[in-house]
Parts: sequence; structure tokens; C-alpha cells
Amino acid sequence: MNKIIGILLLAALPLSANSLPSEKRKNGPMVQKALSPVQVSLQESSAVFYNNENSKLFIYGTVVSDDGLILTKASELEEVKDYHVRVGTKKYRAPRLVGRNDSWDVALVQIEAEGLMPVDLESKIEVSHGTWIVSNGATERRFRRPRAGIVSANKREIPGGSPAVLGVALEARDEKILVGNVTKESGAEKAGLKEGDELLEVDGNGIKDRDAFIEYLTTKSSGDVIKLKAKRGDETLEFEVELMARHKLYGGTQNRNDQLSGGETQQSARRTGFPMVLQHETTLSRRTVGGPIFTLDGEFVGMNIAAANRVEVFAIPVDELAGIVEDLKNSL
Amino acid sequence: MIKPTLKAVYLLFALSSGLIVGGYADRPAFNDKVAPQTLDDFREIQQALQSNLARARAATVCLQMGGGSGSAVIISKDGLVLTAAHVTGKVDEEIKVIMEDGRELKGVSLGLNSETDSAMLQIVDEGPFPYVEFDEDDTTKLGDWVFSLGHSGGFDKERGVNVRVGRLVRQADSTIQSDCMLIGGDSGGPLFNMAGELIGIHSRVGASREESMHVPIREFQSHWEELKKGSFIGEGGFAKKSVPGSGFLGVITEEAEEGGLRITEIWEESVADEAGLKVGDRILEIAGEAATEEVMTIKVAGLGVGDQLKLKWMSGGETKEETLKLGERP
Repeated sequence: MNKIIGILLLAALPLSANSLPSEKRKNGPMVQKALSPVQVSLQESSAVFYNNENSKLFIYGTVVSDDGLILTKASELEEVKDYHVRVGTKKYRAPRLVGRNDSWDVALVQIEAEGLMPVDLESKIEVSHGTWIVSNGATERRFRRPRAGIVSANKREIPGGSPAVLGVALEARDEKILVGNVTKESGAEKAGLKEGDELLEVDGNGIKDRDAFIEYLTTKSSGDVIKLKAKRGDETLEFEVELMARHKLYGGTQNRNDQLSGGETQQSARRTGFPMVLQHETTLSRRTVGGPIFTLDGEFVGMNIAAANRVEVFAIPVDELAGIVEDLKNSL
Repeated sequence: MIKPTLKAVYLLFALSSGLIVGGYADRPAFNDKVAPQTLDDFREIQQALQSNLARARAATVCLQMGGGSGSAVIISKDGLVLTAAHVTGKVDEEIKVIMEDGRELKGVSLGLNSETDSAMLQIVDEGPFPYVEFDEDDTTKLGDWVFSLGHSGGFDKERGVNVRVGRLVRQADSTIQSDCMLIGGDSGGPLFNMAGELIGIHSRVGASREESMHVPIREFQSHWEELKKGSFIGEGGFAKKSVPGSGFLGVITEEAEEGGLRITEIWEESVADEAGLKVGDRILEIAGEAATEEVMTIKVAGLGVGDQLKLKWMSGGETKEETLKLGERP
């Protein structure tokens, strides 16, 4: 849709001396061309993940070791069953998942490779508001295209996150905790919980009140299984419920700015809840995050982790990445 | 083959404009290149932007009224502020002004132009305030690099003001367009040239992501006195004059035994619904007076769409208070 409008505008340009042709605009090819010295870093230290089912690019990755360790965005990777990876001009089949870290939403993947050019995780570069940084823009199979934007806001924690949920509404009534509406496809539904069940115990401990129960759930992660004891009529039943990430079950909530940002196809589904981010304004989308970002001098600054909305992209700063990668390597 | 020709054209353009306006001592070289040619061109853009950013950020404020949030910029030491007409919406309306550091000030909207989306506001608290200069002689040209500030998505103290960079990509009489991306909450915020001079106020976005429209400063200049004295200009779509009786809160109430008004029905998506009022809640005060059927009728009948109404109500044992902006009668 947008493309059609773009073409119409272009056709009208020769008549209008008051319009700048698209190739000269911020994301245009003429501006991009001057970034070619940085393109070298992108070319060698970015990984591109393709879905084997439709051969489509679905996420980028960052090369973190010369022997084939790639860091990428976990919540996007888990959406695709069968994938291959490209680094530089080469294709790597059968990548292996090494480990993941939910709090940062990253996954470490191993490909069969050697002699890669990893990013410098020891980089000490500090960037501030207005500093240009370069990310992966549109890509070709063998060629990474640079796209520039500036650091746009304070470095900070992004609260929220995607807590692990049961998939039921909880109702407190007459000192009882009752199961309300049960969400389809949720862990609670699969385990057999039904509306009206009275919750008695979780993991062997009595449930005192609704808040304490919810508080207990916040200590859990998606994929964890909890044991619930519940009363249904005269029966006491036991359930084993697998918790799910909220965004997977309910989708990201869509406000007006989310709609303006192109909604689910443009925004990362998991775009909140990061311990620390660097924010920039490069035009990226859900599928173009995951890759490395560099300064104009080719110094490694961080890894894009979420396209939050049309004006905000979040990246994990390099000083946090070294520790994250080290922890994941140890799970090898 | 094409490049040299283009360069020549641009050079000519620069020279002729220079002659007309009289010297461009401060005009950075990167603005007269078709596009950055080397990384050094990018570095010069960065340096220009960063050297003007602190002042620009300090003068960029968030405006809050009736649950809505926009942006604006201070342009004088004593607190004159420029913003968009669709942000203030009305003349002589009390509006909260928030600085980047979280300091809250009281503002009152002055005039607005409903046809071009320009508006003014005055901070009532005593200054001096940080402010920016504007591009008085309208020297910024097509293709010039620009930067945009705003409280995107509303005030966020941890994030601070959100900055974006781009080029001026289109010029028309009452609108200029840049490829700095904007989002809800940026409306009314400032667009600067690389000398740190204000050149426009954010108004709206187009179909594609990099299509942002701003009201040029010349548009403010041509209506300056009218805006300053509080005129409502034109009958355009960016603001509607208030018609008494057109405002709609969206509740049906009955007098409660314990005093106040009990809500018995709520219109979906009405102002009351969006403010979180619920059936069963008890309204205690309307515009500072004890709530009765009579007070409700008199107060609401005197207000139009967009007018503010202060409510105090009891919801589930909790007392809440909020100033709501009335909506349109369905």
C-alpha cells in the first residue's frame, strides 16, 4: 500500500521543484552510499536468519565468536521451526540452539563455521544523543545494506516485559480465589482448568489471596510448570499448568501509536521489559532487528533487540552484551 | 555524468539565495551537497546537531490536558510557547506544561489557527525559562538537514525528550515536510535547522513512515499578533469552536442515598468510559460543587465538545479526581 503511494509521488516529482527526490532522503540510496566504509563491518558481523518454509528473512543476528556463535532475538527465533543462516556471502544449514536468556530476549545459536569476524564485545565506546549509528537496512542474499539513524533518548531500563501467565482471569469472591474466563490455547485450558474452579494450593502452598498468588507467578518464567490444587463442586483436582509469555497468548496490546506504527508486521511482538537499552531512531521493523549496530568509525555499539514503534528502536548496549554471551556460552 | 550537472545547479541556487538574503556565514556546507559524500559529512551533521541539542531539549515541553498529551516549545524568556492547534484545541484553556526534568508549570492557551494547525500558549509561572530562537528570515531550504524533538507517546522522565534527524523534503505555503519520523504525542513539538533555530511545529503524518508534516514558522509570523491576543482563527479542521450543549460525558446517573450521583449506565468509548468510570461508581463533585442532578445538568449543558469538566468520584472505596475533556454527542 505504502509502496504504491510512493510511486505516485515519484511520478509527480519532475513537476514539483519543491520536493526532494526519494534517493536523496535520509534512507535513500544516495545517502546510504556514503556509509559504505561501515558496510564492511555489517557485512561480516551480521547474520541473517531465513525461514526454510518460505525462504523469507525473519530476523537478524550478531556474530559473537569466530567459530560460529550467533546471538539473535529469542522470541522471533522460536516462531520458526526450520531455518538457515547467512553470514557474509555464505549459507549455513542446520544451526543449533545453544541457550536463551528470557530477561534480555536473546538466544545463542551455533553454526558450523570458522574464521568469522565477530563484533568486539570488549568495545568501550560511549555514544550520546545525536550520535550516528549504522544498522542493517534492507538486505540482499549476499550483501548487507547499511541504514543510519541517531541515538535518540536516554539509556534506560524498559519496564513491563512479557510476564509468564496462566491464561485465566482470577476472581476474588467471599475470600475465595475463583477461576474466571479461561483463554483458549492457554496452558490453563490445556491442563483442564475450568471457569468456577476454586484455587486452593500452588506448588504445595496454600493460596492466601489473589495478590499473593499473582506475586508468586511473577517469580516464574514462560515454560515453567506449576502445580495447582483446585476445588470443583465436591471434588479436589490437581493440575500441572505450563505458563506462557503474555505476548504469545494475548498479543501485544495495540494502542493508537501501535496502529500508527504498522502494528504486528512492523513492531516487535516482544518490545518491553529489557534491563537496559540504548534507543535510536533508525527506520527498522520487526524483522530487521537482531543485528549489530556500529558507529561511523565501525566501532561496535550494541545489538538491536526491538522495533518498539515507528520512532523508537531499542538496542542492548555492548557493555551488557559481553556478560550475556559469557553466561550463555557456559551453558554449552 | 549526472552528478556534475546537479552540483552546478545547487551551487547556483546557493549563490543566488545568498545574494538575496545577504550572506550565509553560518550555513553549513553539508546542506548544499546533494547527499553526504563521505563519513565526514555525516560527522559534521552530527556535530551541528549535538552542539544545539542541549538548548533545544531544555525548551521542548510536554503539554497535558483532559487526558491528552502533546508537545510544544518555549520561544521567549518569559514563557511564550508555540504548539499545534489540534493540541491546545481551544483558546484560554488551562494546560499543564512539563519540562524535560519533570518540573510542572501552569500554562494558558492563547490563540490558534484552525486552518493551518498553529497555536500559542503562555506559561503563567514566573520565568526565566530556557527558550530557542527561530529562523526569523525563513532561510531554511529544501534538502537542508533538520532535527525534530518531542515527547513521543507522552511524557516519560526516564526516556526524556525524543530526538530524530532527517531532511526537509517538501515545501508548500502553509506546510513543510521532513523525513524525521513522528508519532502520537509529538504533535506541537519543534523542528529545528542545524543552527538550532526553530523552523516548524509538528502537525501530522502522511501515509508512509518517513512523511511528516510541520507548520512552518512563517505561518506563525503572519498571524503573530492575532495568535498572541487569543484569537480563534478560521473554521478549519484542526480545532472546533465550542458550542454550548454539544459536550458529552457519557453517563446516566441517579441521586444516591448517601449523597452524590450513582452511575447507572455508561456509553462505550465515551469520555467517562475512557476515564475509567464504572457503573456503580458514585460521583461526588462536579466542577468543585457537590454533585446533584441539577448541578450535572447545568454544568454539562454549558459546555461544548473539548471543554473540560473536573469530576471527583468514588470507585470501589477509592476516591478519584480527574479533569475530563468532553466528547461529541453520539
